[in-house]
Amino acid sequence: MTERQPPPPDLHLSYRKGDLIVKEGNYGISIYRILKGKVGVTIQSGDREIRLATLGHGEIIGEMTFLNREIEPRSASARALEETEVEVWHPSRLALEYEQMEPIIKYISDQILGRLIRMNKFIGQLGTRTFKKPTQPETTASQRSYYRKDLDVLCEYRPLDIRKTAWLKGRVRNVSLSGLGLDVGAGNSLNFPHELGKVFRVRMTLPNRKQVEVDAKIVTVRKSGIEGRLDVGLAIENITEEARKILGFFLMP
Amino acid sequence: MGIDPIVHGYVVEEEQYPDKAVIIEEGSTGDWAYIVLEGKVRVVKKGLKGTLTVDTLKEGAVFGEMAMFQKGEAIRTASVIADGPVQVGVLDRERLFDAYATVSTRIKSLIETMIDRLEDTTNAIIGLLGKQP
Repeated sequence: MTERQPPPPDLHLSYRKGDLIVKEGNYGISIYRILKGKVGVTIQSGDREIRLATLGHGEIIGEMTFLNREIEPRSASARALEETEVEVWHPSRLALEYEQMEPIIKYISDQILGRLIRMNKFIGQLGTRTFKKPTQPETTASQRSYYRKDLDVLCEYRPLDIRKTAWLKGRVRNVSLSGLGLDVGAGNSLNFPHELGKVFRVRMTLPNRKQVEVDAKIVTVRKSGIEGRLDVGLAIENITEEARKILGFFLMP
Repeated sequence: MGIDPIVHGYVVEEEQYPDKAVIIEEGSTGDWAYIVLEGKVRVVKKGLKGTLTVDTLKEGAVFGEMAMFQKGEAIRTASVIADGPVQVGVLDRERLFDAYATVSTRIKSLIETMIDRLEDTTNAIIGLLGKQP
């Protein structure tokens, strides 16, 4: 019989002002408890950082990854706003403690988690509705709707106004609840021009492995830095409730 | 769909409410929790434009646990209203406290973090709903 590996000990880490503790999009499993200092939780939107929360002494970073028991990239970045000290917990020790918990508390904890996930989705949906009414973007937590995530996944798309059903290939560069940014070839097998106002059906698989299909209209076309490629911005025209939920979940901080 | 026996074992009292009856009132004090045994309840919260529904809970859902697990004064942060006739179970407060007391400090802080975030998110939703035309 092999002995169970003892869980790694806690680490104490210090960060200087401006240091990244957790980076959005990275895979990480540790949980951090702030011992000293202030930490800003942000998400990237284009070349802008949007502040979601400021956390201080005793507060936790990374709890969702642990409780969710799913391997997903970090949904937000955490950056030290001043000299900060954290205690880093390895999830294997926590998992042991979690398993030893009374079943009733586990039941209730799961319910709280479920509700939190539901509320985050809800906020995403609310965001798109308010998005239609142009408002001055602010950098507050109520602006979750405007979140745009940079990513790089393959997609298929096809124009909706021609009969052929062949799919063109492209890459999705960013996604928000209201639009997509694609990187596509300027020329294509359907000889189809990428013109403003054209509507495409776009099909992609998000990093959480969920597939989403949306209809979206071209609103911007720019030559990309690479010869023969275009940066195309599309606004979502048609999306099912299901697809919106998947997108909302994916965009969740 | 039956109720999970794990939680059913904690029900000490059953209560019936008619449609629209207030089971928990926002702002009141109380730290006991309930479970929906039959029917549905709505979680509502006061906003600038009146009271808004933020969630609907079905059979098997526990509510009122936020005040129970939070430190400090147990003030209800939202109201819970019957959505049609509903039967709820009151959970054994003492036994729940005892069970929670055995939870490790770390896991407790994770649960309390979730409760805080749930409160923040709910407030943000109320803020967004208030901005709707």
